[in-house]
Amino acid sequence: MTEKLLTKLGDAIKDGDEESADEITLQVLDKGVDPLELIQKLVVPTLSEIGRRFQDFEIFLPELMMAGAAAERVSGHVEAAALKAGTPSTTLGKVVIGQAEGDMHDIGRNIVTTMLTAHGFNVVDLGRDVTASTFLETAKKEGADIVAISALMTTTLPAQRRTLSIFSETGERENFKIIVGGGACSPEWSDEVEADGFSPDAAGAVELCKKLAS
Amino acid sequence: MNRNRLTTIVERSESGPYMKEADFDMTLMKTVMKLVKEYQIEFDPMVLVPSDDDLADRVYQAAVELVLEMGFYNQSTQRRILFSREEIDQAVSLAPFELLLGEGKDAVVERHREVEGMEPCCMHSGPTGTPISEQYHGLILQSCAQEQLVDCLGHGSVATYQGQLIIPGTPLEILAAQRDAVQARESIRKAGRPGMHIEDMALPLTCAGKIATFMPDKGMRPSDGLLVSQLPELKTDYDQLSRVAYLSSMGMHIVDLMTPLIGGLGGGAQGTAIVTVACHILGVLLYNVSYHFMGHMSLQLSHNTGPMGLWIQAVAGQALSRNTPMVSINDLYPRAGLGTEQIFWEVAAGAMIGAVCGLHQHGVGATCGNELDHTSGLEARFQAEVAHAALGRSRKEINDLVLTCLEKYQDKLVKPDLGKPFPEIVDLDTLEYSQEWLDPYNKVKEELQIMGLDMVGGWKKALMLRRDH
Repeated sequence: MTEKLLTKLGDAIKDGDEESADEITLQVLDKGVDPLELIQKLVVPTLSEIGRRFQDFEIFLPELMMAGAAAERVSGHVEAAALKAGTPSTTLGKVVIGQAEGDMHDIGRNIVTTMLTAHGFNVVDLGRDVTASTFLETAKKEGADIVAISALMTTTLPAQRRTLSIFSETGERENFKIIVGGGACSPEWSDEVEADGFSPDAAGAVELCKKLAS
Repeated sequence: MNRNRLTTIVERSESGPYMKEADFDMTLMKTVMKLVKEYQIEFDPMVLVPSDDDLADRVYQAAVELVLEMGFYNQSTQRRILFSREEIDQAVSLAPFELLLGEGKDAVVERHREVEGMEPCCMHSGPTGTPISEQYHGLILQSCAQEQLVDCLGHGSVATYQGQLIIPGTPLEILAAQRDAVQARESIRKAGRPGMHIEDMALPLTCAGKIATFMPDKGMRPSDGLLVSQLPELKTDYDQLSRVAYLSSMGMHIVDLMTPLIGGLGGGAQGTAIVTVACHILGVLLYNVSYHFMGHMSLQLSHNTGPMGLWIQAVAGQALSRNTPMVSINDLYPRAGLGTEQIFWEVAAGAMIGAVCGLHQHGVGATCGNELDHTSGLEARFQAEVAHAALGRSRKEINDLVLTCLEKYQDKLVKPDLGKPFPEIVDLDTLEYSQEWLDPYNKVKEELQIMGLDMVGGWKKALMLRRDH
């Protein structure tokens, strides 16, 4: 019975059916399934497969975002259950993400946010056009593990450099891992600004964050 | 609604229904999915140029319904700007259908085109907003402007000012934007076409940067244009709307820049076609544009010369041509770079579709704008030659030709031939193309001739038609 429910939950996530995901998660947790195992053995593999299909363009952004939204419902219940049971948080770490100052693009960052959340990171999304000081203050306030700065255009690359500089100048650089991404970025640029890593795509960003957070 | 709708737009931006942006995106995705099903929009990868008028009309109707249900999102106020059916229909009916671009002897008339119509395409060229170095910018612009089949000049995005990376919102942006405007005027003068229409200054990201280029004595003039952007999908903000206010009062052409993302919020080809048409309606209602660049591109690889991108151009083009008076222009972004055969096949496919599906021509954004200095006049000349050669052909005939072209490059879309940049294939003193660049151009032209396109005389016949029109 539990196996059937888990299969249905997997299908609900794949179909982006938030309501069903919600209902079935409660039923599954009621049956005593371990919350951490639910995330690690069902949600993460399901979303990894969806992420792979998106990377290969077998499915598109709506399917990815809707699956992410359904998975978030599951994570919400799992977090609540873990809190109630006093067990350690299921989150892999906290990521503060935003678009470099002057950059008004969203979609790439939204994909990364969805994938990171789905894989168990706690993500604080600062949105577009984020000043260097906002990255710094938010990272400190939120106790972030990783700061992720996105720049789609060449003209907004200087703002990534500016953000990294402000962390160094205030003595905070060693307290955070800082990664860069977005269409204008490259591994060479990441080295030049002394970031902790770069990823050309969302799947890579998840793996990079997992590596840095471990 | 009157012609100057900005007070209405601001009023509705301030009082329209509040919605978090993430909720707008999610609702838009679900609405488009519903409309694709409801209007039975289907994508057949073997029919990239459908000859189905009813399909085109259904795409248009679905787009109007999308606009009615969603409105447009103002990021500055987080509210939706809504319009009634009557307002949409009225504004679309009154959209400009005939434009005078440029001035004096170099002016061209650009008109609404019919599906399979005999009105020749106008050719908009230039770097199409792709990255260009300070060092070669003037030469690249001149290379495009001096091509006889090019009618209007595009512009590149130059990232540096006197070697320093330009930061938007700083004095560097203003200085660089004005430098580029002066450069463009000088380039068209050197090409012997001082009245040529310049369609944009691509470098500035802010409203202040864009309007700083308006210097009729030495920079941008009322006969030129500036792009006002939409943000994906169906979004605007006050910075963009402020450009409209200024450009309208200066009498400049306002050019609609949309970038519907294939695989993005609209989903696959079907939904993105609907979104693309809806974006044109935004351009009319919010920006009062002269003409539109149909700039859809792949979320994955940034091109629009793959099967989905080509189909969207064909279907959206027909939808707009059959149902509106608008002047819309394709915007070819191939994966390949200069100096390659692949780029010509990609351009050929896109150009033919534009010609028979009611669009004018804009190109070429080689390497999808990823590599520096990948623009010259030759690929624009080629695009115009193909477009003119395709005049008078049916959609069915062009579909067969497009599929043949696609076979030549489809397996190279993920890892394309990047070729060589401008300074390596053009003589920097004479601006003559090297043999290395002319060889693939001539080869592909010859193959297209064998395939049945009149690549030798087609452009001459088209220009005679233009005279008669």
